[in-house]
Amino acid sequence: MALISAMYPVAEQVGASRIVKAVAIPHPCGDPNLPAELDGQLRREIVSTALKALEAKVDRTTVFTPKVGADG
Amino acid sequence: MIRIVHILNQFFAGVGGEEKADIAVAIVGGAVGAARGLQVQLAERGEVVGTIYFGDNYFHEHKDDATAAILAELEKLRPDVVVAGPAFNAGRYGLACVEICHTVSERLGLRCVTGMEAENPGVSVYRDYHDDKIFLLPTAETASGMARALTAMAPFACRLADGEEIGPAGAEGYLPRGIRRLVRVDRTGADRAIDMLLAKVAGKPFATEIPMEVWDRVEPAAPVADAAAANLAVICTGGVVPWGNPDGFKTYRNTFWRKYNFAELKTLEPGKWEAVHGGYNVAFMNQNPHYGMPLDALRALEADGRIGRGKLYPAYYVIPGNQGSPAVMRRVGQEISADLKKDGVDGVLLVAT
Repeated sequence: MALISAMYPVAEQVGASRIVKAVAIPHPCGDPNLPAELDGQLRREIVSTALKALEAKVDRTTVFTPKVGADG
Repeated sequence: MIRIVHILNQFFAGVGGEEKADIAVAIVGGAVGAARGLQVQLAERGEVVGTIYFGDNYFHEHKDDATAAILAELEKLRPDVVVAGPAFNAGRYGLACVEICHTVSERLGLRCVTGMEAENPGVSVYRDYHDDKIFLLPTAETASGMARALTAMAPFACRLADGEEIGPAGAEGYLPRGIRRLVRVDRTGADRAIDMLLAKVAGKPFATEIPMEVWDRVEPAAPVADAAAANLAVICTGGVVPWGNPDGFKTYRNTFWRKYNFAELKTLEPGKWEAVHGGYNVAFMNQNPHYGMPLDALRALEADGRIGRGKLYPAYYVIPGNQGSPAVMRRVGQEISADLKKDGVDGVLLVAT
């Protein structure tokens, strides 16, 4: 399982295995401040990063950062 | 007179609710909001020299900036002790209280008192820190327990400021931090252990000297070899449900989960779905449900071949995660896992708020 969360430090503290950095608590998968097209791209990048996280071998809590950056 | 700084979120500072959850760190001289109640309890013993507050989301999304700003204000205000909370069952605020207390303890060497309900997620972080300068007093679940919480926290803060030695958690009423101190006692460990054993055998109460920490340790699952060939499913704890909330999820403390079919859908249209959750501002997700359940992105990745045709589970799982009790969430997690396994799902994306 890959956990997509903006509160990733908490996810780390409770020991989730595969964590994907999300954008913000009220809108984890995307950023309403971006134009719709970029918002959609950001969302694909986040989900895509989660797929990579599923494919990664991890032996402890590991955080994966989407390329576009958690700040949009 | 003891100098105290009170740390509040936007709600308890009286600034606003969810619509103000993004405000940055602010400082007011003297006591505002809940700090006024603290000042009443302190009476002549102490003075709230400043109230620092911030939005619940702001703190967690800009933790480094928020922490730096709070430290800077505290350095100017030079308090003898810091009070954070009570946070009751407010998860984001409870976590912020513990994080701030820990930073204050480490960076400024000050002792801190905070308060929250024993099930607040901040409590487990407090236990993990094992910080001997933080004292967390248990409170009621809701703000109706404010007066009682402040009545306990104010004198505790004064004792900390006075440099008083604080006894063990059980005797002083704060929640245990997992710290063991050396103390001199009259009887040897062997004698004490035998006493405990005899009490246990006789069915009488006894207090262990080494309580076991109960933590789930989950070994990371093996990776899926190729996501495009894997059966995938999505779980949403942000609370995106069909418009009208047909199964009657509550905005907090839910005890069941549901799954909703999206096999025929390419997107989740605004107005047909809504977010049910009492822990964050749901306006963004109501405007675009994909922020919590990214079906459009999943379909795009399906079109690209990154997700295999027919490999995406035809429904997503949901439970609004707000204020879930760990015991209930554990059961819900086990039930969903069993359902996923039954249907042969290999990998799961869990979108949390």
